[in-house]
Amino acid sequence: MGYLRCKSLAGSMIRRGSACVKSAMLAYAHPVPPPTAILLRMTRAGLEMDALLARVAGFRDRAAFAVLFGHFAPRIKAYLMRLGAGPAQAEDLAQEAMLSLWRKAHLFDAAKASAGTWLFTIARNLFIDAIRREKRPELDADDFMPEADAPPDDALALAEGEGRLRGALKLLPPDQAQVIALSFFADKPHSQIADELGIPLGTVKSRLRLAMARLRTAIGEAP
Amino acid sequence: MIAHHPDDALLMAYAAGRTDEAHGLVIAAHLFFCAQCRASVALMEKIGSELLEDIAPEPLKDDALNTALARLETIPPTPRRRDVSADGTPLALRPYLGGDLRDVRWRKMGPSLAYFPILRRGSTSVRLLRGAPGTEVGAHTHRGMEYTLVLRGGFHDVTGSYAPGDLQVADASLRHSPIADAGTDCINLAVTTASLKFENLIQKIAGPLFGF
Repeated sequence: MGYLRCKSLAGSMIRRGSACVKSAMLAYAHPVPPPTAILLRMTRAGLEMDALLARVAGFRDRAAFAVLFGHFAPRIKAYLMRLGAGPAQAEDLAQEAMLSLWRKAHLFDAAKASAGTWLFTIARNLFIDAIRREKRPELDADDFMPEADAPPDDALALAEGEGRLRGALKLLPPDQAQVIALSFFADKPHSQIADELGIPLGTVKSRLRLAMARLRTAIGEAP
Repeated sequence: MIAHHPDDALLMAYAAGRTDEAHGLVIAAHLFFCAQCRASVALMEKIGSELLEDIAPEPLKDDALNTALARLETIPPTPRRRDVSADGTPLALRPYLGGDLRDVRWRKMGPSLAYFPILRRGSTSVRLLRGAPGTEVGAHTHRGMEYTLVLRGGFHDVTGSYAPGDLQVADASLRHSPIADAGTDCINLAVTTASLKFENLIQKIAGPLFGF
């Protein structure tokens, strides 16, 4: 009976346009769950995190914040510990990073970066302030000479690029991947990294240059 | 078109948060001019986020989320800040100058050279240098590294020609004698990690007086 009703409703919808049919069929197939629940069911892809961040910005959505917290706070804590913070300081700074996200979510521009990249820069800047105790001269995201800049990618193109980057990172030769990882996770100049690896500084730099050339090619930028 | 860029190692250090304030400032100012290096830094930050994604998570205390949620209501959103420059000064530089390039209170070093000290940290110095067209900075070598970013005008030396946005990185092996291009004043942002070694007697004496 329900099936027949659905079918006849669908039939009347067809005459009014196929988009309506699709949404009506979907509405019949499942009652619409609360939006946050939809997001929770989505795969843990970059776009999901972006959508959650958009909800924090647009609706001050605490449930979305809680999911972002669960994903990013333990990673930020681990990252800061790798860079030399003690567990208690790393925990405080991870909290600080997530509160920063709440404060600044409305400034996030999905056309320029993913939520993950934005969180990385927040965590990195906390590392500079609190662990290195340096001032970071800020390049304002919108402050540059208006010249031959490529038009900004849309968020989907950005996510595709990040997918290709992820793949290319996994395919780097181990010696190149190691130099990249040490660049981010060892708070040391490249000269010291070279000493510890027992290779000349020039080799560290050339591995870095080769790795960057591969990664630029992978995301479709000229090397 | 920018012809002289920082290398990947320097950009990577900046993207990973390992540059000190002096080097951070010269990179941020170069990025103001250079779309290519902005794209590189953006890519490096994406690499950082991929590494962050893959890191083994370190669990927080059990009540960490509740502590954060309890604090959310007390936090006002950060207002959208819009600093602006009237003469195209990179915004990263403005806090150090107390305004725009045109507002800088220059200190004279002779008839055609002036400077403005920005930062001194140990043996590392950051300063603005201004040379009238055709000014020659005497031949010198370096005890450490010298990073010179052109902000206005241009200069040339044995290594080539530098226009706004170009970054010259000189190490101890370089002996040069930069000459400001004809036309307009040349204004550079310069970072030195150790004092310079001038060859001319007067500059040998005067250099240290001005902190060079």
